[in-house]
Amino acid sequence: MQLTGAQIIMECLLEQGVDTVFGYPGGAVLNIYDALYEYKDKIRHIRTAHEQGAAHAADGYARASGKTGVCIATSGPGATNLVTGIATAYMDSVPMVAITGNVNLNLLGLDSFQEVDITGITMPITKHNYIVKDVHDLADILREAFQIAQSGRKGPVLVDIPKDITAHTCEYVPAEPKPLFEEPFPIEERFEQALQLLNASEKPFVYCGGGVISSGAADALNTFVDKLDAPVSCSLMCQGGFDQENPRYMGMLGMHGTNTAALAIKNCDLFVAVGTRFSDRVLCNAGLFARHCPIIQIDIDTAEFNKNIDVQLKMKGDAKEILEKLNSLLEKREHKEWMDSIAAWKKEYPLQQKGEKEDDVLPQEVLETLSRLTENSAVITTDVGQHQMWAAQFYTFRSPRQFLSSGGLGTMGYGLGAAIGAQIACPEKRVINVAGDGSFHMNCTELATAAAYNVPMIELVLNNSVLGMVRQWQKLFYGWRFSQTDLDPNTDFCKLAEAFGVKALRIAKKEDIEPVLKEALNEKGPVLIDCLISRDINVLPMVPAGASVEDPILEM
Amino acid sequence: MEYTNANPSPVKEYILSVLARNRSGVLLRIAGLFSRRCYNILSIVAAQTENTKFSRILIVVSGDDRIIRQVDKQLSKLIDIVQVDVLPWEDAVVREHVLMKVKRTVQNSEKLVEMANVFRAKILNVEPDSMILELTGDAATINSFIELYNPYGVLKILRTGAMAMLK
Repeated sequence: MQLTGAQIIMECLLEQGVDTVFGYPGGAVLNIYDALYEYKDKIRHIRTAHEQGAAHAADGYARASGKTGVCIATSGPGATNLVTGIATAYMDSVPMVAITGNVNLNLLGLDSFQEVDITGITMPITKHNYIVKDVHDLADILREAFQIAQSGRKGPVLVDIPKDITAHTCEYVPAEPKPLFEEPFPIEERFEQALQLLNASEKPFVYCGGGVISSGAADALNTFVDKLDAPVSCSLMCQGGFDQENPRYMGMLGMHGTNTAALAIKNCDLFVAVGTRFSDRVLCNAGLFARHCPIIQIDIDTAEFNKNIDVQLKMKGDAKEILEKLNSLLEKREHKEWMDSIAAWKKEYPLQQKGEKEDDVLPQEVLETLSRLTENSAVITTDVGQHQMWAAQFYTFRSPRQFLSSGGLGTMGYGLGAAIGAQIACPEKRVINVAGDGSFHMNCTELATAAAYNVPMIELVLNNSVLGMVRQWQKLFYGWRFSQTDLDPNTDFCKLAEAFGVKALRIAKKEDIEPVLKEALNEKGPVLIDCLISRDINVLPMVPAGASVEDPILEM
Repeated sequence: MEYTNANPSPVKEYILSVLARNRSGVLLRIAGLFSRRCYNILSIVAAQTENTKFSRILIVVSGDDRIIRQVDKQLSKLIDIVQVDVLPWEDAVVREHVLMKVKRTVQNSEKLVEMANVFRAKILNVEPDSMILELTGDAATINSFIELYNPYGVLKILRTGAMAMLK
């Protein structure tokens, strides 16, 4: 049948099973929005307050559901506003398709109104991007975009579509989604080598990254560590990829990892890394990371081998498939002594927080209470900074896709949009964005979206009126010179929320924590909690720049 | 036993032969990758292949083993790139092409022609006060060719990057 480009976009989205998109209308996407009007029974469009919010919402939707997130923006500033969101998704390997409008073909390259070379701009932050110059190519390009976004190491793909392409017509022939690219699998020899290392190890350490979640490897991982009888540590990206109530769990590894994980890496005799890229936030000093033992790395992206650190055995492929095969080959091992010492370290070095005064509202207590009240089952999104680390440390994550955070890019302002996307992907779950006041300020406009669609998420602002993480570094390395990190006089977030039509609550003292959280959890619409905390609570442990991951600072 | 990062091998020049889909922006994707990952391009030559749907791009890169492996793997991840081969110099025929304009006088004219003949260079154009020479050869030959003419006054040099083909 003959359809316009805009209608073809709708049909291609439906082919891919897309029923929700996030975006913001504008001149170059008028035809697309007209088609969205026509297809509104099949495709739900969430209009955010700002295109960046749409990109983060599509990202949160993708991370929470495992599906590909879709966002739409107009040309020029609409497209550039997506950039931070696309880069965030790229760094964390989140499948996303971003559709941007552009000026008419004959106006391209002439500095036309709202024209920008968005394919040029997004080249370094997408897996691939396209500009469509013929409506006949449109459907296949969109199909390829989804195929690329979801294949192998996932990531964002951008499709830029000049306005007249969305008006041109051509014959639309429906098609099934393209199969994902085939990924290579390690040869037998690699498995033999892995088994040798695994069987020779008396003190193995299993470390997991976001690849465990994106490949759906959590169950296989669980079996693997039981068979191997090993303790487990997870990166920020793998929170929930392993049940944190499991006695094997040691907490995070890296700059703000636990002392148990640090002691374990110091003492282990084999380091098994699954679905992880050894980011500098984990390695700390690459020259001092696990240099006394061999490393096995399982990852789907071959470029991650020997990039930041040399490893002794590389296994390229899907983490789930590789772990399943290892599980079928591995005999049950037992390392009682090793597991006992892990348990002893866990007991000796629990994560804990101290305030200056006894009645300080401590983020630890707020998050542990939240964890208890939500039965450890909420989806937690975060912004970036101290609150992000506290959320990872003190909420107990038990299953994958429960913790959504900008790990690679460290995007302040990510969380609120992501929470809206996650809540729309998972209407049956409680979704809470744990924010800091600095991060909340960046994209607080998205409260308008939460209010407009009555998205029942909770915005929990841990408000210390400072940029806490930067302040912490200024304390440690810049002689307490708090350059530009003091946010007083601060915004009244409760009044702000009310102006957006969002219910607002405040935690001002210790006794408020539980009743206020309970009240918020009973609401059916969006709620903001302004949680006032001291400005001098530090994120600990902490590995300072250049130091070894084995020697965190435990107190400051 | 200590598991250290392998000692970096000496920095050398490597020649990469890249087969890419002939789509707009493919050269930009490659150049952008090199620049953002801080790899050094020494020269680059690109043209359509016998099949107009594909381009062959030859890139000379300097780096140690580790960097070259990273370049290879990162390039291979680009969607428009079909294949990347790191060509071993000894198994490849490598050629560069140079156009050189040199100063000519009545006195040295004969000498200039004689030197061109030694290298089997072509004389493409002769003006009263200059001549344009053309030479194809490996980098070392072209370097010594240019060096030889330097004392006579080299006015302009246009030099391509290396093209290479496996034997």
